[in-house]
Order: sequence, then structure tokens, then C-alpha cells
Amino acid sequence: MEQIISSLQQFWEYTGVANCAWQNLVMIAIGLVFITLAIVKEWEPMLLVPIGFGMVIGNIPMFPGLNIGVYEDGSVLNILYQGVKQGWYPPLIFLGIGAMTDFSALISQPRLILIGAAAQMGIFGAYLLALTMGFMPNEAGAIGIIGGADGPTAIFLSSKLAPDLMGAIAVSAYSYMALVPVIQKPIMLLLTTDKERRIKMPAPRVVSQKEKIIFPIVGFLITAFIVPSGLPLLGMLFFGNLLKESGVTRRLAETARGPLIDVVTTLIGLTVGASTQADKFLSFKSLKIFGLGLLSFVIATACGVLFVKLMNLFIKNPAKKINPLIGNAGVSAVPDSARVSEVVGREIDPSNHLLMHAMGPNVAGVIGSAVAAGILLSFLG
Amino acid sequence: MKRLSLLVAGLLASVLSLRAQNVRDLIVAEVMPTPDSTSLMDGYGRRSGWIELYNTSTGTVNYGGCFLTDDPSNLKKSPIPSWDRATQLGPRQSVIFYASGNGAEGTYYAGFTLRPGATVYLVSNDGRTVVDSLHVPADMPAGKSVMKKPVDIREKIFEVVAEPSIPSPAMVNKDTDSETKGQIMARKDPHGFILSVVSVSVVFSALALLWFFFATLFSPRKPKEKAAKPAKADGEVAAAIAMALDMEQDGDTYAAIAMAIHLYLNDSVHDAESFVLTIRPKESAWNDKSLNFRKLPR
Repeated sequence: MEQIISSLQQFWEYTGVANCAWQNLVMIAIGLVFITLAIVKEWEPMLLVPIGFGMVIGNIPMFPGLNIGVYEDGSVLNILYQGVKQGWYPPLIFLGIGAMTDFSALISQPRLILIGAAAQMGIFGAYLLALTMGFMPNEAGAIGIIGGADGPTAIFLSSKLAPDLMGAIAVSAYSYMALVPVIQKPIMLLLTTDKERRIKMPAPRVVSQKEKIIFPIVGFLITAFIVPSGLPLLGMLFFGNLLKESGVTRRLAETARGPLIDVVTTLIGLTVGASTQADKFLSFKSLKIFGLGLLSFVIATACGVLFVKLMNLFIKNPAKKINPLIGNAGVSAVPDSARVSEVVGREIDPSNHLLMHAMGPNVAGVIGSAVAAGILLSFLG
Repeated sequence: MKRLSLLVAGLLASVLSLRAQNVRDLIVAEVMPTPDSTSLMDGYGRRSGWIELYNTSTGTVNYGGCFLTDDPSNLKKSPIPSWDRATQLGPRQSVIFYASGNGAEGTYYAGFTLRPGATVYLVSNDGRTVVDSLHVPADMPAGKSVMKKPVDIREKIFEVVAEPSIPSPAMVNKDTDSETKGQIMARKDPHGFILSVVSVSVVFSALALLWFFFATLFSPRKPKEKAAKPAKADGEVAAAIAMALDMEQDGDTYAAIAMAIHLYLNDSVHDAESFVLTIRPKESAWNDKSLNFRKLPR
């Protein structure tokens, strides 16, 4: 009988109920909120469902030493987590993004590339703010990249610069990407006049297949020679795009933008979520990271819009003026921020379609954030 | 095409000018005068003293034709062969020379032996200019080295360290407890303004270069002279439009006709096709497996 009671006691010690702390419950609740937002509101469901469920998995209270946790060497979750920790997953996701991105909007109006550069100011604005809040430069750089509005880039850079903060940074980046329509619209309306919002841009020209093939090659050579440290991201992005545009590697392109990116997105979401264990995640630092992440999005959006207004000062031909409502699309949340430009533009003038124009700075933002990540890595890595 | 050639030529010229590095970028980085039983073994299975040269630049340096010596009155004491193509040292790379006393043993062998108290000189290929030197303390025990540890490698500021904890041949000399890049930035740029300005400039430069390239190379073509084209099809097109206008009166028809004419005149009627033909499997009775199986008698 004593043996049975002793075994039951031992079993009880192993249960989640016995090891539960309030922090675990808070994190599980946050995970469930993510899942609810993804299913009910359809906010970035491909990311928030895996991240949310990963948070639930990672925060099930357990007896340490069973070799099942994400931070325990050799466990299944730990092996999958290596893709995040070592930075393998983000370049693979960039391969898929390249294979599904159409750079036509950018090639037809190359001047819009600069908007993608201006919106990267959010990264460095957040970097400066993070330094003033007492973060070390490498931590500040990892936090600043949230302003690039690019989840894989944020994970890639934070895994190199500040692995301890990666969970908070990744969750913050993906959360704000899902909230792009909520964050960007008021800033766009605040910084533009009614007249500016009604600017109609000329239809982009038709881009030839030759130009589409040359773009990833030249784009890669130029950016990689300037910032070689961004090679994993830039190389995969442009390689994926070449697979898509070359016309002779259709199967590879379809795999990259289909099954491959689906598998990697599932794994990255799940393991990033699982890495947010309460003891590592619930801290004042995480709160500061969330605050800085929001500010970086605000700065990036404002800089993009203001930069378009600046460009318009130098454009004499009224027919060639740029609608500042596409400035927000410089942050690389593809295609959500471009969609915000379209929606806000049509609210003012239903006949004014800005989506195609906004896609230019949007995809330029992807390149810009990868370049910015490369620079930060070379200075701080 | 001409614009492209000029652009490529400009880029090449700038790249080549940046790569114009010379032997002045080399330093004598580390010297071990007296080996012990754990020291490096040369290609002949011996342990001799060694000299490490290091390329501080970001370009490749050819040190063929230079000289190594321990005698300031004989700067050409041990020549490094100029005919050997392997005498190229990549950026931030190092190379080891064994001080075996017989330079004829190979490219990486010096014609003198080392002793504590000596000074090793690297001499340029003109045989007169001393590029760099490193003095070995007289009390240097066996198995220990003297090295130059980089303080600021860009400014070529080095600190000479005698008897570091572990000799590090063919490796960048550094302390294991040296500052991380983050700590260096925290010290040099505490507010982050320099990094921010530099980074923003680089992001803008990279994307502006992309813009410049595509704006230059693929500027929109001027609309082709199409005066003759409508005239050629005038009769049929006009007749078709007239008939449509006679038959239909609603706005959609006019809009469709206007759009068709616009697309026709702008030569953008057709989408760009990939021109790749694929054969997709089509199910039919001919390839239905169930019909091709041999029916077994019941």
C-alpha cells in the first residue's frame, strides 16, 4: 500500500498541476489570445496559430530534467529550435518569399525603392531609444529590427545579437505585423492632407520578362557587395525570385513558395512560441521590448509617409507626384501594409487604386530590412 | 547597351581601385624563436622557430619577391620566391614561415634560424624598405612567442605582447577575454548616433544604387510611332466600332471599346508569357489503369 501511495506521490510531482506557477498560466492565456485573434479576427493566422500554440506547449509546467523542454539539449523541441537559434529557418523563409514576390511594381517605378529605404528609419529610431532605455548596443540592434516589420529578419538578427531576447522580439514583431492596419492608418491620416490623399498616380508600365530575370541577379550583386553580412537573407530572397522568374525552374519555385515555406513557417512559429517560457519571457525587459517595437513601427510608418512628401517637393510635374499614402508600405509587412494604402486611399476616393503602386515600396522594404539587418550584424555581431 | 557598358566599367574601376593593396599592409604578427615539444612541426617533421605574417587589409596582398631577415645590415637575407603563385595572402589572413636556416627547402622556409633577442624584419620587394619588424625579448623561454595583438586593426594599432598564454600560429591574435563588438560600440558610440547615421546612409546607398541602375538601364521606352498602325487597320477597326455603337448604347460598351483601343495603341494587349509549354496529365479511357488491367476470369 505504501508503495502505491509513494508511486502516486511521485507521479503527482511530475504532473503539470503540481509544478504550475502563475506565470505559466499567464503565458498560456497569452497563447490562447493569439490563437483566438488568429481564428476569430483572422490576424496573420499562419503565424499566430503556430506561435500561440507553441506558447501553450512551451509553458506547460513540468518537472525539470525530463529532457523534453525546448531549452533542454537533445529534446525534440530543442532540436527543432536549433533552426531558430542557429538562424537556419529565416533564410529558408526568405527563399519562399522570393519565390512568391513579384518585383514588377518596383522595376516599373524604380524611384519608389527609396521609400523602402526611408521606412527603415524605424529600425534605427528604435535602436537609439533602446540605448537610452539602458539596453546594450547588441540588444538594442536586435530590438530595433522589429521596425523592419519582417519576422524572419527579426528572428535571424536577434538569434545572432541577443538570443536571450529572441522570444520577446519575435512575438513582438509578428504581433505588430498583424496589427499593421490598426497602427498605420491613424499615422497616415495625421501626416497627410486631403489634397495629398487624392493624388492619382499614373499606371505603372508593363515590365518585360527580361527585366524580371535581370532584377534578382543585379539586385543581389549590388546589395550583397555592399552588405555581405546580409548574405543569407539577400541571397535566398533573390535566388527564390530568380527561380520564379527564370521560367525554367517552375517546380523548384513552386516547392519554395509552397511546401517548403509552409513547413518552415510551421516550425519557426511553433518553436518561437515554445521558446517563450514564462521564466524567460515574463519580465520588465519584455514589456520594454513590446513598447519599443510599437514605437519602431510608428517611426517607420511616419518616416515613409514624410519621405514621400519630401520627394514630392522635388517633383515638378504634377502628373508624376506620388501619393503619400503609399509611404507606409515601405515597412516590409508584405502585403499587409500595401493593402492598408489601398484601403485608406479608396476611403478618400473610391476610384483611386494604390495597391500596385504601394507594392513597389513594400517589396523594397523587404530588401531594405535585410540590408539593415546585415549592417547591424556587421557592427554588433 | 552603351549605358550598361559604362556602368559596368565604372563599377569595375571603383572596385579595382579599392583593391589596390600592397605589402605595406602586411605585419610580422607573431614570432616563436625556440620551439618546444608541443610547437608546430614543419613539412620535414622538424620543430623549428616560426614567423607569422598577417594581412591587415581587406584586399589580397602578393608578398612574392619580399624578404625576411634577422640582420638589419643584410635585408635580402632570405628571399620569398616571386614565382610561386601561392604567395597571395587574402584579407585578414596569416601565413607561417619556418625559420629552418635553409630557405631552399621551400617557399615557406626562411634562410636563418631564430634566437631570443633577435629582431625579425619583413622587407619589401625592392630590398630596401622595411615594411615591419618584431623584436623578440632576450629572455623568451622555449615554446613561448611574442605577438602583436590588434587594438584597432583599421588604424593599424597593435600592442606587443610577450609570452601570451597560448601561442596562436596561423590565427588572428587576440585575447579570449577581449571586448565584444557590442561592448566596443557601447564605449565608442554610447548614444548610437554614429551607427545610426552610418547604417541609414548604407541602406539608402544600397537601394539608391539599385534605383540608379534600373532607372538607367530600364528607363521607360519612348512610345513607338504608331501613326501608321491605326491607319493600316483603320477600315476594319472603324467599321467594328461603328457597328458596335449602332447596336449598343450603354456606357459599359463604350468603356470596353475605349479600353480595347487604349490597350491596342499602347501595345499592351497581351500579358508577358513564360513561353514554357507543359504537358499536364489528362485522365481519359486511354490511360485509365482500371481499363488496362488484365481481367481475371471468374
